[in-house]
Parts: sequence; structure tokens; C-alpha cells
Amino acid sequence: MSNIIEVSNLTVSFIVRGGNLLLFERGSGLMDVVNDVSFNVREGETFGLAGETGSGKSVIAWALVGLMTPRSGSVRVLGKEIDFRKKADVTYLRRNIGIVFQDPVGSLNPRLRVKEIIQEGLVAAKTFDRNEYGKRIDEVVDLVGLRKSSLEAYPRELSGGEKQRVSLARAIVVPRKVVILDEPTSSLDVSVQAQVLNTLKELKSKLDLSYFFITHDINVMKYMSDSLGILYYGKLLEVGRTYDVVTNPEHPFTIRLMSNVPGLKRTKIEDQGERLTEQGSSATGCVYSKICPRAFEKCSNSPPMINLGSDHHAACFLYDEAN
Amino acid sequence: MRINKGEIVGIVGESGSGKTTLGLGIIGLLDSPPADIINGSITFEGKDLLKLTYSELSQIRGPGIGMVFQESLAALNPVYRTDTQLRESIEVLRRSQDLNISSKAEKEMIIEILNDLRLDRPEWVLKKYPHELSGGMRQRVSIAMAIVERPKLLILDEVTTGLDVYVQNRILNILKDLNQRTGAAMMFITHDLLVASQICDRLYVMYAGRVMEEGSTDYIINTPAHPYTQKLFAAIPQGFVDAPPLPAPKGEAPDLRKLPPGCKFHPRCPFVMQKCKDAEPPVFESDCGDKVLCWLLEKK
Repeated sequence: MSNIIEVSNLTVSFIVRGGNLLLFERGSGLMDVVNDVSFNVREGETFGLAGETGSGKSVIAWALVGLMTPRSGSVRVLGKEIDFRKKADVTYLRRNIGIVFQDPVGSLNPRLRVKEIIQEGLVAAKTFDRNEYGKRIDEVVDLVGLRKSSLEAYPRELSGGEKQRVSLARAIVVPRKVVILDEPTSSLDVSVQAQVLNTLKELKSKLDLSYFFITHDINVMKYMSDSLGILYYGKLLEVGRTYDVVTNPEHPFTIRLMSNVPGLKRTKIEDQGERLTEQGSSATGCVYSKICPRAFEKCSNSPPMINLGSDHHAACFLYDEAN
Repeated sequence: MRINKGEIVGIVGESGSGKTTLGLGIIGLLDSPPADIINGSITFEGKDLLKLTYSELSQIRGPGIGMVFQESLAALNPVYRTDTQLRESIEVLRRSQDLNISSKAEKEMIIEILNDLRLDRPEWVLKKYPHELSGGMRQRVSIAMAIVERPKLLILDEVTTGLDVYVQNRILNILKDLNQRTGAAMMFITHDLLVASQICDRLYVMYAGRVMEEGSTDYIINTPAHPYTQKLFAAIPQGFVDAPPLPAPKGEAPDLRKLPPGCKFHPRCPFVMQKCKDAEPPVFESDCGDKVLCWLLEKK
């Protein structure tokens, strides 16, 4: 099975003025919000990226559609190495990767009708003849499960679920192989979320899509992804097949994360009683070492990704053979 | 609905089901117009809150009934530091109970509460403006503002929404602990059934402004009686990637301006009967004592 997206050692930095630079003292006022991240999205699969608020999940998505320029690292899409300084390469990215943003209100132009919003994608792609627009839009609207009558509506007249379907229609109106879904259901109610997740799964098999799926909800992640990565303060701490990572997490952060996932059975809530520090990351060494219950001297160095077998990797010295 | 002393009661439902309106109605914060309470009563410690004057109600708000609002960023005043906002709450307590609290004691009270809420470096938090705090910290400052007045009933409106899972779990633990230590009753409003099932003793499931099902949390989780409650639980993703499609209820929540006749859930209900379209069901009792608004439970 080939990889549709290959991301290696991706680092994206923000220029920070003021603020708490003590924590991120690398370069002059540069904060690495995504730090040395590598993963692959395989053809026909869903790669999930989970992590808490501010861990850099969306930044990776933005980089993959050229909305941010990485400081270093390489991105290969459908076998082509992307040079982010070349406009043609960024266009290549956008032509091949569709994206659904988290905020359904902010990502749809309030002054355009649904039809026009979807059409914009077609116009930008330049691969469709103007006469075909209507037919293609009708097809896509059908695929994502929108009512035909919604085409003439403005975004504000639609419900949250319908808005996300419009975003989805815009992302696939130009035939694509990969779609990035950035928290596509986090603003939706559970029953509407279920409908949208069902549609996403249906579309994936119907159109042979691959997904790069971002969410903070582990239950949704489990249900949607084949493989997943756990991001924490810009660092990928664990990657593997979803089943392995969820049932057998290895990184201390992942272990804590998984034990906190709410289930329907009433369980004692996991809580070590520790204080919640405002800055849970360390400037040097392992980002999790500051609050890791199992941290030891070695953790003041940056841990490498250690192969635990069967595609399962964790960035943690606990699994270092040299111990 | 009723909330007993020391009880944690969950109000669950999807957006637009009337959860927040209910909370705001209890504490008398609904703007009128447009809102108008046309009948019913809200009895708190023997007094009908709807019959009180504005100043009598003000006496109850805070030390009687406290509320933590959904959006902590909007609920806190952006131009005051945490310290000032918390002192304001103590001022309310002082006035209502004629207490004599020195400035030093005030500070101690505040630090103690922030410590109870397991905020790291409370002194530092006190000097910050709301926008300088993280979501989890801000939410706890909002909770601190409400509990510093020692309310007998605390209305919590989506207090864990948008927080990371273990910050969420920590806040749930803090609330449980607070409930056990002070005996404060809580009305826990949330759209998240999983969160509600973690903390609440009893649940009220709302839909289109009505309570569709009421009962103990354990019963509702294990044997939901109303088709809406059943659908709601079934819609939570549980399995892995190869799991079957989620049995989501069709359609979306109804527009309150154009409610269907009969049972408000009937257009989306898999068990709909003619009766459901004709008349809104009364409350029926299920085998385990849940109160359910559904014709299916009518005893033949």
C-alpha cells in the first residue's frame, strides 16, 4: 500500500513577540509549534491526529495545504516532493488535497450562496468547463447528502451539520484523493455528528478517498481512523495502528490520555490529583518530561522515535534498548 | 423537575433543547421581552422565585443559587483582574450575610478556593486578566466566583465544553469533591452524555423544550426508555474503524417556531405510531420508575 502523503521531520515555527519566550528559547523569538513531526497517510486509509488544544494539530493541516510554510522538513504528496517556496507546488498541494475546516461559520463566506461557495472550488481548479459546473455541483450535493434546495441558501440559513456538508462538498467538488478533516464534527451535536461521520465513511469508500482526520475526541478518532498519531506541544509522541495505540498505549502521555477517555460505563475518573500546570511542556528534552510520572534523568534529552514493532512507534526513553 | 439537597442533577440534550434557558429562568436572568414565563413556579427553599421582587431575588442570587456560565471568556469581565472579580463575589456574600471580612481574610479565602480548585500558582492567577488565562484556568476562576458565595444550588452550564479530556475530568472531580464537602446541590447542564453520566445522580433528557425522560443515571444509561434517549446514546461512536455505521436518528432538531403536532420527536422516531402524530404523550412511568414522555410506555 503506497503513501499518499509523506511528512518527514516537519517543523513549523511562529514568530513570537513578547509572551513567554523562556519556554521556547530556540532561535530569536521563534516558537516551534510543530516540531520534527513525521507520519504517513496511506492510500485508502484514514490517518488520525489527536492532541489537546494548542498542540499544533491544525497547524499541520494548514501546512499541508500551503497556508503555512514549514521551517524545515519534507512533505511528499502523491510522490511529489513539495517546495513551499514555489507557487506551482503550493497550487499542486491545493489541487490534490481538499480541506474541511473546524469552524463551519468562519470558513463559509456569508455573502455567497451555497451554490457559489461550492462553485468557487471548481473555478479555482480550472479543470472543469463552465457548462459542467451545474451538473458537477448537483452530483456533489447528492454525495454529501445536502438537499437540492440548500443550493440557493446562504450559510446562515443552514444548520451546523448542513454547513459542514457544504464544506465537505467544496472539498470534493474537484475530484481528489485526499481530504483533510480538521475537527469536522466538534461543533455538532452528537446525533448530527453521527450522521456526518456516517457520510464521511460512505464517501471514503465510494470515492476511494484517504483522510487526514484531526480531532481531540478519542471516541471519534477510534471510530474513524486506521492509524493515528498523538501530538503534544508540537511533538509527535506516539504513532501506530489505531487499535494498537488505543488498546495498548505505550507513551506515558498516551496512557494518561486513554485512561481519561470518557465511556458510557461509570468508572472512577482517573485523576492523579496533580496540579494542572499552565505550561505543561519542557523547553529542553522530552516535551512531556515536566509532568511525566515516569520521567528520569535521560528525559532531559530529546527522545528519538523508538520502533516498538508492527508499525507502533513511541518517542520515549522508556523503550530505549540502551537502558 | 426537582433538585434535592446535595444532589447532582444532569440536564442533557442537544443544542436548542432549552437547557440554558431553563438555567437562566431559574436564576431570573431571562430578558423579558423577549422571554416571558407564562405559567409554572420555581420554588427554592419554600419561596416561589417568580413572585419575588427584584431586590429579594438579588439576595438569593449568589449565596442561594449560583451560576457558572457557558463561555468563561464572555462571562468574566475583560478589564478586571481575577483578584478584583473574586473580591466582587465576596462583597456579595458580605452584604447578603452581614459578614465582617477583613481584606486579609478575603485574600485568604480566595487563595484557599483557588487551591481547592487545584490551580497552579494562585498568586499568579490573581494578577491576570481573563484573556491571559487558559480555558481550563478561566473556567475554574468562573467556578471560584460562584462557589466563593457558598451557594446552596450551583447551576453549571456546559462548564467542561471545549476543555481537554483530563482538564475536563479534573473539573468533574473538583465539582464532585465540592458537592461532597459542602453539600451544595448542582444542576449540571451539558450536551455531552458521557460527561453527564460520569457525575450526575439523576438525569433529565430534554428535547424541543420538554423533558422527554427523567430517571437515575444508571437506569437511563443501561435501559433508556425513550426512543430519543436510545438514539442519543447509540449515536456516540464506540467501536473501531470497521464498526458498522452509527444508528443516528434521521433529521435534525426541530425549529421551535414550527413544532410538529403530537409528540415533538415523532418525525424522527423509528417507532412512530398514529397516536404519536395526533397527541402529545403524557408522562408514563417505566418499569424501573423512570418518567418518560412516550406513548410506547402506555399500559394497555
